[in-house]
Amino acid sequence: MRAALAQASLIRHRARTVLAVLGVAVAAAMLLDMVMLATGMRESFRELLLSRGFEIRLAPKGTLPFDTDATIPGVSAIIATLRKNPDVREISPVLGASIHVLAGNRDVSGSALGIDPSVQGDYELLSGRDVTTPDALVANDHLLRQLGARVGDTLNIATGYDPQTRTYSGQRKLVVTGRVKFIYGASDQSSAAMRRETLVGMNGQSRDRASLFMVRVRSGADAEQVRDWIDKQLPNVTAISIATAIAQVDERLSYFRQLALILGAVSLFVGFLLVTTLVTVSVNERAGEIAVMRAIGVSRSHVVEQIVLEGVAISFAGAVLGLALGLVTARYLNTILSAFPGLPMAIDFFLFQPRAAWSALGLLIVSGIGAGIYPAWRAASLPIAESLRREAIA
Amino acid sequence: MSAAIESPLVSLREVRRDYALGAERVHALQGVTLDVERGDYVAIVGPSGCGKSTLLNLIGVIDQPTSGTVAIAGKRVDAMSDREATQFRLRNIGFVFQRFYLMPILSALENVALPMAEAKVPKAERIQRATELLNYVGLGNRGRHRPSELSGGEQQRVAIARALANGPTLLLADEPTGELDARTGTEIISLFQRLNKDGTTLVVVTHDEDLASAAGRKIHMRDGRVVDP
Amino acid sequence: MLLAFLLASLLAQDSSSVGRPPTTAVERQPRTIAIDDALAERAHLKVGDRVSISAGAGTVGDTVIVGAIVRRGADPSEVARGDLRVWMHLDQLQAVAGYGDRVDRFAIAATPAADIPQLIDRVNGIAFGFKAYRSRDIAVETSRTFQVVSRFHRAIGIITIVASSVFLLCIMVLKVEERRRDIAALRLMGISRATVMRAVIIEAAVVAVLGSALGVAIGWAISLVVNWHYQALYQTPLAFSIVTPPTVAFAVSLSLVLGIAAGVMASLRLVRTPPLALFGR
Repeated sequence: MRAALAQASLIRHRARTVLAVLGVAVAAAMLLDMVMLATGMRESFRELLLSRGFEIRLAPKGTLPFDTDATIPGVSAIIATLRKNPDVREISPVLGASIHVLAGNRDVSGSALGIDPSVQGDYELLSGRDVTTPDALVANDHLLRQLGARVGDTLNIATGYDPQTRTYSGQRKLVVTGRVKFIYGASDQSSAAMRRETLVGMNGQSRDRASLFMVRVRSGADAEQVRDWIDKQLPNVTAISIATAIAQVDERLSYFRQLALILGAVSLFVGFLLVTTLVTVSVNERAGEIAVMRAIGVSRSHVVEQIVLEGVAISFAGAVLGLALGLVTARYLNTILSAFPGLPMAIDFFLFQPRAAWSALGLLIVSGIGAGIYPAWRAASLPIAESLRREAIA
Repeated sequence: MSAAIESPLVSLREVRRDYALGAERVHALQGVTLDVERGDYVAIVGPSGCGKSTLLNLIGVIDQPTSGTVAIAGKRVDAMSDREATQFRLRNIGFVFQRFYLMPILSALENVALPMAEAKVPKAERIQRATELLNYVGLGNRGRHRPSELSGGEQQRVAIARALANGPTLLLADEPTGELDARTGTEIISLFQRLNKDGTTLVVVTHDEDLASAAGRKIHMRDGRVVDP
Repeated sequence: MLLAFLLASLLAQDSSSVGRPPTTAVERQPRTIAIDDALAERAHLKVGDRVSISAGAGTVGDTVIVGAIVRRGADPSEVARGDLRVWMHLDQLQAVAGYGDRVDRFAIAATPAADIPQLIDRVNGIAFGFKAYRSRDIAVETSRTFQVVSRFHRAIGIITIVASSVFLLCIMVLKVEERRRDIAALRLMGISRATVMRAVIIEAAVVAVLGSALGVAIGWAISLVVNWHYQALYQTPLAFSIVTPPTVAFAVSLSLVLGIAAGVMASLRLVRTPPLALFGR
């Protein structure tokens, strides 16, 4: 009976109910977006880091991977040291460098990774062959488009350029053997990859140096423990576990998390305010009805229950509508933030997780209950005789 | 002749009711003492502001006296908690208002069933009883209609049926014909008489001379006191 | 990038260590460097402290004295990076980093009367190995991060405005609806629709004005709190939130328009309904 009364009451004032549901929907959409923003980056980044299964990264001391042009000396010694730990399963040294692709009078610059194709974790092969030979090169679509090149073409690559003499150094002809997608690459970056020995050979300065090591631990091993071990064994590098990397990125992007928290709280508050206003207006109008219900013997708590149900119904309907709206706005906002320069394409700021949706829904329902309780309780507690008298006068 | 003296159904002793109206203090009832016996049909009459509605509210346990005692069926009701008072009203008292106060969003049948739902009467039983009550008040074929689809007289009859839902000991009515035309008012008066003949104890507050005359007993009030006519 | 080297070495050393011993009389007198306040705080350095500065971790460096601690300017693109900065004499940095007689860039200040585009063209004409740009153009290029954040803020702003509009409309309609009986009574007394609407709209406008004033005050206070919080968090003088007259004017105008529009909408509905119906008859 109470649910029926609540439903009938909402239908009685259709326009008002629709407006309130719309208002709650907007609040719900924003709340959902903020919950997605607060957790999205971290989860998205974690998925990205784990996508190839390398749990630890070694970067030059005091830096994050590819933050600077610094390199780590003594690759062979480092690999030998790392192999001493039985929990270390695979080591992938990576060398980063800038390259110039010379095409006639044009010089297209980009970045290159020198890798070991058997253990690399930086790209996915889309078509063609991996860099199995010393003169092989794989490139992303952005670079190939800029050059108008295809798989099978030969490119003239240089790793150095002296602006004073306008000459190129470290030149070599490489054959494009495959098209790839760089996992950590930004959407507007021209990138290529070749065997590390090839890049080392071209870039004379960086013999036996690497920009980064990626380390995969044995399954079941504690990555943090291995990280700590590496820290002690190799004091000249910074060992970064996924947790540390996430924490560092978190710190850099903490602004968005805080913004998400604040806007989320404001949305929830406004939604609460809306429902409480609606319920207050509704009970004020029905003061007489409520007094009569009490007079005929309906208990206070049952009266409150019916009124609160109305608030919950609006919150629920608004939340469901808001979910759809929130997904649309999240996609729009994500598109804006994806334009961050240097941001890996795979990072999403707004990641939809069912848990986020449930949290938002739960918060709204609780807020709906809370919003209805006080005005309902007040209305149900008014002295019956006085309410009836006031209604008679009115 | 000796007969067992039954205690009155309603018993008020030195009941006072004051309340604040803005900055003023209003003495709505000033020491009212009266009894209503089981099976009585009592009309409380008096000029506007004499305290008759206040008196009815106290008997109906929807208000509490400032001082004095109110007892119904031997039970003190003047100092009950809200929960006790609500339960007492639900099972023992039926209330009929001047403005009907039916739930506009429920049908006539649902309005009558409402107090039974609150009393946790099973659905089938309450629908059956609600139908019987509507038949009793002559609206057996109007059960599905909403109050907005009923005339004033029909709405008041539904309100009376609702008041009888849980088989109350006492039926109270505050100006039940106040919003009705003369002809419809007469129908209600007849219904009250039938109810009383069938054993319902009635206390009505009214300005309506016809309704007051139909009652078995009149109590006159003036300035918060029971007075001689 | 050079700074990364220096950073690494500075952090690795403490203020009591010394670098390679001086070999000449000139070298015996350590030169001074300036550091930023973030580095001073993190490494617990103060003016007069001696540090060793080198290009790589674990390598021997030059002994220098902290001559000044500099408060960094507000650069939005660097706010969250947490970089630490050191200023050195050019020749010393070139020597320490093994850079030779090279620099990353020249900065040129022109005379007030100079024609900048012409100057740039002339420099580029004789350039050998470098290109000249206007500082303003470089700033635009390097502030892409900030532009993205700006766009994001604007999008959030738009969404917030739309959301606020819906909320405002809802609440105003509800509140005006609450007055249905008053409106009914006025109409029954013979007061015209136009008069009733005028009264309701004036009330809505007053509420909107008062609400806007309160909103501006709250917004200004929140702006202060936001700046205080983020300036401390990122150790920057950058202003994260600025309340400007155009912003205030926009917010107040919008809320006035919306508040009044909501009042008009709701009152129109009510004056069109027959008065007795408003009483529920």
